[in-house]
Amino acid sequence: MKKSSLLLSAAFAVGLLFFQAIQKPTIETHDELSMDGPKLPANVKAVVESKCYGCHNAEAKNEKSKKKLDWDEFEASKKSKQLATMSKINEVLTEDAMPPKKFLENKPEGKLTEEEKAILLEWSAGKKKKGE
Amino acid sequence: MKLWHKLLLGLAIILIAIQFIPSDLPPITTENPADLMGSGLVDGEVATLLKTACYDCHSNTPDYPWYSYVAPSSWLVAKDTREGREEVNFSNWEKIEMMDQLAILDDIISEVEEEHMPLPIYLTLHSEAKLDASQRQLIMDWAEAAMDIVVEDEEE
Ligand code: HEC
Ligand code: HEC
Repeated sequence: MKKSSLLLSAAFAVGLLFFQAIQKPTIETHDELSMDGPKLPANVKAVVESKCYGCHNAEAKNEKSKKKLDWDEFEASKKSKQLATMSKINEVLTEDAMPPKKFLENKPEGKLTEEEKAILLEWSAGKKKKGE
Repeated sequence: MKLWHKLLLGLAIILIAIQFIPSDLPPITTENPADLMGSGLVDGEVATLLKTACYDCHSNTPDYPWYSYVAPSSWLVAKDTREGREEVNFSNWEKIEMMDQLAILDDIISEVEEEHMPLPIYLTLHSEAKLDASQRQLIMDWAEAAMDIVVEDEEE
């Protein structure tokens, strides 16, 4: 009796160890998703689609504008890339450099209204201005 | 005096005269506590590459060669260092906003990849600053990784 119960508990212990071993370690929840940047707010998206998207998309004919900024890629890119892009957008808007002056000569309706510009400026400032 | 003597004399006078036009060479500052090199973001081979290939135009510690003190070449050096520093000054790194640091790192990737930087004209006189394909890749990979580090540091 004594012997068998000893054997039994030994078997139990081995079984337990075995179970522990085959159990997969819990997957770290620090996953890729947290590095993904947030999606564009709806009001920003609306301005982008009407005033910027035409030149800055994956199918854009102008290689230069596509390479510098591709809205089709933006939402899928990681946070560091999004923030870098936002900083560049903030800069071109501050300088009134986009949409390009040349383009606006033929298409004045492409110009950002004050309200649209304010929307893009506030969004692209990101964290930078929050503390102020 | 023969005609070519006159021409030579004229040229010499012009060359001497232009030495008095100030070139506005941006100053050298040796104390740069906010420099990228001291930020912990870069070390080893990439640090050396940036210092030899970029720091003459993008820092407060350029190594001005003799011709940067002689007109007319001094004008070109002054222009490139002035404009280079305006765009990116690694000596002020830690004073730059996080998002602007990211924009610079992102630009470094494309500028180096497309071989726009170091400026091609600079390479004609600075063969030591030429980057081969593996060195370019090293800088690009560093900049890519540094972008994530900059974001993570900010979130802490
Ligand atoms: C008519 C086409 C056109 C429109 C519309 C347009 N862009 Fe551009 N954009 C360009 C071109 C071309 C370039 C590349 C310019 C260059 O590198 O010289 C560019 C470059 C940029 C850059 C990169 C600047 C840099 O050098 O880093 C940003 C940011 C940008 N545009 C933002 C915008 C935003 C925001 C809008 C909408 C408000 C917009 N663009 C609308 C054509 C356009
Ligand atoms: C001979 C001087 C010189 C050297 C060397 C040099 N640069 Fe530049 N750099 C400039 C000038 C001038 C500008 C601004 C005008 C321009 O963009 O062409 C500039 C602009 C830049 C920009 C901003 C581009 C943009 O789109 O806003 C980046 C990033 C840059 N340089 C990175 C580098 C890196 C990285 C190196 C070294 C591998 C380097 N540079 C070496 C002179 C230089």
